[in-house]
Amino acid sequence: MSGRAKRLTLDELDRLCRRRQAAGEAMPAYAGPLGRHVRDGDRRLLTLEYDDSPAALRLWNFLLTEEDRLHEARAAGKKIVGTMKDLGTVPVMAYALPNVVAFYPDGAWWTPCLMELSEGLFGIAQSLGLGDAFCPVRAMAGAFVNRAHFPIPDLATCSVGATCDDFSAIAQRLESLGYPITWWEMPSRRRPDPGEPGVTLPGGFTAPASQVALVRSELERLRAALARLAGSPLGDAELAAGIREANRVRALLAELRQLAYTADPCPMPALEMLIAEMLAIHFCSDREESAAVLAELLDEVHSRVSAGRGVLAERAARLFWVNPVADLRVMNLLEDCGARLAGTEYLFCHALDAIPEDLPPMEALARMALADPMVGPSADRAARVVRDARAMGAEAVVVSRIPGASHCALEGTVIGHIVRQELDLPVVELEVPPVADALWPTLRTRLEALVETVLERRKR
Amino acid sequence: MISAGIDGGSRAIKAVLLDCRTRKVVAGGVRDQGVDHDGLARELLDQLLKKAGLARSRIARLVATGYTRNAIGFADTTVTEITCHAAGVRYRVPKAATIVEIGGQDSKLLRLNADGSVRDFAMNDRCAAGTGRFLEVVAARLNARLDGLGDLARAAKSPAPISSMCVVFAETEIIGLLASGASPADIVAGVQASIASRVASMIGREAKPPVVFTGGVAMIPGMADALAAALKTPVEIAPEPQMTGALGAALLACRQACGN
Repeated sequence: MSGRAKRLTLDELDRLCRRRQAAGEAMPAYAGPLGRHVRDGDRRLLTLEYDDSPAALRLWNFLLTEEDRLHEARAAGKKIVGTMKDLGTVPVMAYALPNVVAFYPDGAWWTPCLMELSEGLFGIAQSLGLGDAFCPVRAMAGAFVNRAHFPIPDLATCSVGATCDDFSAIAQRLESLGYPITWWEMPSRRRPDPGEPGVTLPGGFTAPASQVALVRSELERLRAALARLAGSPLGDAELAAGIREANRVRALLAELRQLAYTADPCPMPALEMLIAEMLAIHFCSDREESAAVLAELLDEVHSRVSAGRGVLAERAARLFWVNPVADLRVMNLLEDCGARLAGTEYLFCHALDAIPEDLPPMEALARMALADPMVGPSADRAARVVRDARAMGAEAVVVSRIPGASHCALEGTVIGHIVRQELDLPVVELEVPPVADALWPTLRTRLEALVETVLERRKR
Repeated sequence: MISAGIDGGSRAIKAVLLDCRTRKVVAGGVRDQGVDHDGLARELLDQLLKKAGLARSRIARLVATGYTRNAIGFADTTVTEITCHAAGVRYRVPKAATIVEIGGQDSKLLRLNADGSVRDFAMNDRCAAGTGRFLEVVAARLNARLDGLGDLARAAKSPAPISSMCVVFAETEIIGLLASGASPADIVAGVQASIASRVASMIGREAKPPVVFTGGVAMIPGMADALAAALKTPVEIAPEPQMTGALGAALLACRQACGN
């Protein structure tokens, strides 16, 4: 538990870390001053500000050592699965096997931000025909080609169909370069027709039972592929155990989000919460450690809430944030402008809901996959935003566009219209590129103006 | 008691002195923006004080707004141009429901509540195609004065369609139009329609009238008509549209000085 709660610069954080190390404080083997990652090229770390708690430091270290962890897993003879365009389904299956590690190659979309474009991933993608018109996740293709980041997976899976057009194109290009991909189809979720058997999905959407059956059959193919890779069967008992472990992570996150997004003063910065939420979809390549990292973070938040300590002033403007930002520094900016997070929809809110444990595991996973807000109409996603923004007491909504991402072209208008209609909240759209420095004044103006608008509404 | 508002825009600095008791403008002025944002703003303020016969000490509160607001070190506080334009337009045109502001480097749409406060807003600042910068480029290309573009557009017979989504490419398109014999008048009218169309796309289906047009570009004859045509609703130009942000800043400064 920290004695205070505030944001630190990298220098301040590293000094604190060294003092703790010198004092003999216990830390995981992967932990240490974050400055070492700057020397490896993660220059963006120099411009970020960090929560001062040991729990947050552990979270950062856990995130930034993922590639090391994957290489160590490979060296230890474990099988590595790259689960592309998969927001929280196949990793649950993969981690049900003892000698398999799953990771999320799409996560390379943050590498150009962290390395401030010095790594050249976009340049490689460009040379493959994946230019600026594509989502920044095109950096993943560059990481496959230059092999300077994650190890090439033993099995790469990718959902396709009602998923991001950019990503499908990027993954197809990757396959054409000789990286075989096991595709699985995700149908476009629709409501059941009158008289058609339907299923209520986790999170509240409904879908025809036939769509659930299709996804289940696709996941069965993946189950077989994973079992072949691991050389051991992936039975229902193993899957059920894997679901329970995934739900343990999701439960920790659910409690963490509830506290962090509703308690006043805000007990955990937006930046650390963004990273924490990301653990839900792929466990940062270590499911057990993910749970431990989140449990420590939750303890810290509990203690801060009990003591009335926060990282921001009380009564900061409460923003609901839609889509993750390509430039992590924007999470600091929103707080600099007098705002705080009051809920998020980072493209995978379904992966924060518990997977049903009272159903056969493959049926439960199929329903969960189909509950992805991104595989249905934008109005469904907007409905989820409305529900969660209302529950978290948000006072405004920010739709953060990702340059080039096909889903961002129109969804902001739909989400904005429905949020205004249902909640009468101000909605502002931003566009955040991987390094947003050139846009800083205009991003600041939008966020400051939104905070002014919220504060003025309070007077009314 | 006097309050002051300074709007440090990308092309010009505007300042307003306001009598907090009567809420009347005591003095207002404009000068070109330059490199030393703070120094230029200070000089403009001193000129206004001199013109009004007031000492600097009479200013109870000074609010800076606009693109360079954070560079104006002598301001008591800063407020974004979104909030300031809303306050300024509310003062000038109390019935306004929608505000379109087009400045040198961005354009904004503000939706207002019935009491004049901001409901929400949208901004275009990634692309010059919906801003005054487009008109500057066109004026330079046509060897015309910026303030003469409106008169030129009035002579248009058939506005030229400008299809490029980027000012740089639009400039090339204009060269092509000139080469093919299009008149400067038709080109200017086409550019005005293009800017208006870009701004209208921000508004979508929610251009609730009355729509008030403000910002420096509102002073260019023909732009309001182009905007009205794009929005399919009448557009009213705010009085002294270039000064609206500074006026709003002065009004907010006055409110802060009076504690409400």
